[in-house]
Amino acid sequence: MYQYNEQDQSLINDRVAQYRDQTRRFLAGEIPDEEFRALRLMNGLYIQRQAPMLRIAVPYGLMNSTQVRKLADITRKYDKGYAHVTTRTNIQLNWPKLEEVPDILAELAEVQMHAIQTSGNCLRNTTTDHFAGIIPDEIEDPRPWCEIIRQWTTLHPEFAYLPRKFKIAVTGGPEDRAASQVHDIGLHLVKNDAGEVGFEVLVGGGLGRTPHIGKVIREFLPQKDLLTYLEAILRVYNLNGRRDNKYKARIKILVSALGVEEFAKLVEAEWDIIRDTETRLTDEHIDRIKGFFEPQPYAADAVDGLAVLENQLEDDAEFRVWYERNTRDHKVAGYRAVIVSLKPHLKAPGDITDVQLDVVADLADRYNFGEIRSTHDQNLVLAHVAAGDLYNLWKSLNDNNLARPNIGTLTDMIVCPGFDFCSLANAHTLNVADQINQKFDDFDYLYDIGEIKLNMSGCINACAHHHVAHIGILGVDKKGEDFYQITLGGSSREDASLGKIIGKAVPQADVADTIETILQVYVENRQEEERFIDTVRRIGVAPFKERVYAPVN
Amino acid sequence: MPLLINRAVATEDNWLLVDAENVAAHLNEDIVVPFELFAEQTETLLASEGGLGVQINGDQDFDLVLQNLERLSLVAVEFPAFTDGRGFSFARILRRSGFTGQIRAVGDVSQDRLEYMERCGFDAFAIADERFSESMVQAFGEVSVHYQGCADDERPIFRQQ
Repeated sequence: MYQYNEQDQSLINDRVAQYRDQTRRFLAGEIPDEEFRALRLMNGLYIQRQAPMLRIAVPYGLMNSTQVRKLADITRKYDKGYAHVTTRTNIQLNWPKLEEVPDILAELAEVQMHAIQTSGNCLRNTTTDHFAGIIPDEIEDPRPWCEIIRQWTTLHPEFAYLPRKFKIAVTGGPEDRAASQVHDIGLHLVKNDAGEVGFEVLVGGGLGRTPHIGKVIREFLPQKDLLTYLEAILRVYNLNGRRDNKYKARIKILVSALGVEEFAKLVEAEWDIIRDTETRLTDEHIDRIKGFFEPQPYAADAVDGLAVLENQLEDDAEFRVWYERNTRDHKVAGYRAVIVSLKPHLKAPGDITDVQLDVVADLADRYNFGEIRSTHDQNLVLAHVAAGDLYNLWKSLNDNNLARPNIGTLTDMIVCPGFDFCSLANAHTLNVADQINQKFDDFDYLYDIGEIKLNMSGCINACAHHHVAHIGILGVDKKGEDFYQITLGGSSREDASLGKIIGKAVPQADVADTIETILQVYVENRQEEERFIDTVRRIGVAPFKERVYAPVN
Repeated sequence: MPLLINRAVATEDNWLLVDAENVAAHLNEDIVVPFELFAEQTETLLASEGGLGVQINGDQDFDLVLQNLERLSLVAVEFPAFTDGRGFSFARILRRSGFTGQIRAVGDVSQDRLEYMERCGFDAFAIADERFSESMVQAFGEVSVHYQGCADDERPIFRQQ
């Protein structure tokens, strides 16, 4: 992974000192509340319902064991011994003290981490596929490009006060695990007819109040032009995006107001002026960054572990179930990617304790070249585990409640913290997640239902991406009571689509039962091997709606 | 109102902000005219004797300013709110268009944006009294490493020596 040089380190050290001084001046009454709000947000610090919340950046979801141990330490020292993984693959602390944040940042800087631009109306953390670099059909590893974008976005002086937040995702091939089509900019590595690798550029995706799927504005962008093209998009947006209404300020609104052709025209005109400026990438820089993402030193004899693994899978049914659910193919023979489930029974989805963080760091050192990835689905990934190590790894994960075999199933939910923590939320989410977990605790049933994506947001801001879940749940407040609106048929993958609302919101007590009804309709209608989402797409939402709202006899 | 020019507190300001009422009396002095007035009396102002500056904000027609850069010695970019980032792009575009006169930030301008503004091409900052302190000049260069090129140095980190 990328390693800071003196300049990178100097930048984040300076940034810590700068933020420390801003905090000091705020506490001394020298910076008005509203202004400090913007400054602290650009450093990931929210003031929430019960305490501040600090969002720590995990650029493109990649960490080393030293960093994860430091996070464990920080949760012990400054927080309540746990952290939360977000859909932007960042890490949130729920209980830091505002006055201590500069100290937390100083500790993070010791391990090449920071909280720069994890919130606010600026360029946010760039995300990518959590299987980057290990999947066979990837055109190119997207992470070097994410790092190039990370550097360009970090403390960008022109684009720090955008009309609204701005998110970029990069995918390395045709599969999309980064929800790139619901990003302000989605970048897909593609190959053109001449065999050159470049980017397909999408713009104007986003969720929130008015969800949009991104639109292609350029089918092929040469690699060296990446930053100048991004600069052109951002400048057009900075100058033309709406600033009078924060609900209409995202780039998606500008793109639909102008029309994608007109928007693209403005971008191309600006790009014409700047494409040959110094910002144009150089081969030397691209090669240098790529050098940090060389394949791990895989062992040639890892394949020998396959026979051992075969026996272990036969002997231990529990291990086999986990292997089938929570591991994935790796392009190097003898290795597999392991998904560490942060979706245990009756615990907040995406939460991880200090002890678990330390365990994962140790396991990464022992079995995974010291690397840990955080995922958009709020889990962790150990991407390069040798076949012969899987059994021992599983045992350790299992001992620490990190091996629930539910990846890709109904209980592998994306859930925002909701009303319990978030000051924007209208409704609770964590108790509904518990309700769903209690109702659907039978793994045989979950496996029979198969691949399904359930996301639940506590308000219309849609942090849990409910619009693009197979089953989306949105908490709403009706006269002080929590109700839940259900959408079906959304997807954040390469076949991105927005879910359709099936009807009026259901009371909190009925959410899990309603999901059960929906799943019954699926089971009755599915054709052989058909996934839930495919059945919904084939038969539409009407049969589901009919059953859910059928009069009770 | 305190004024910073080139990272120092300026003791004098030879620029006079005029309006429609008094502009005629100052045509042979160094004046800054609000954009509406500049748009209304472009010909007269371009032909005036003294130095000419225009004050513009993000809602106004920036192209009219760009078309007349040769005659302008100062562009004042107004920040109606500190969160309005359009002025950063205005400054950047002014510098890349070859403008070498003063770019002055006016309006909601305070310490924590000075560094970014300077990088984008601003060299003068009018600061409200209640937000001014002598020590605020330290804000320039708080972060010494720059990943991206900007008006101060167009070279991104990978082209710097």
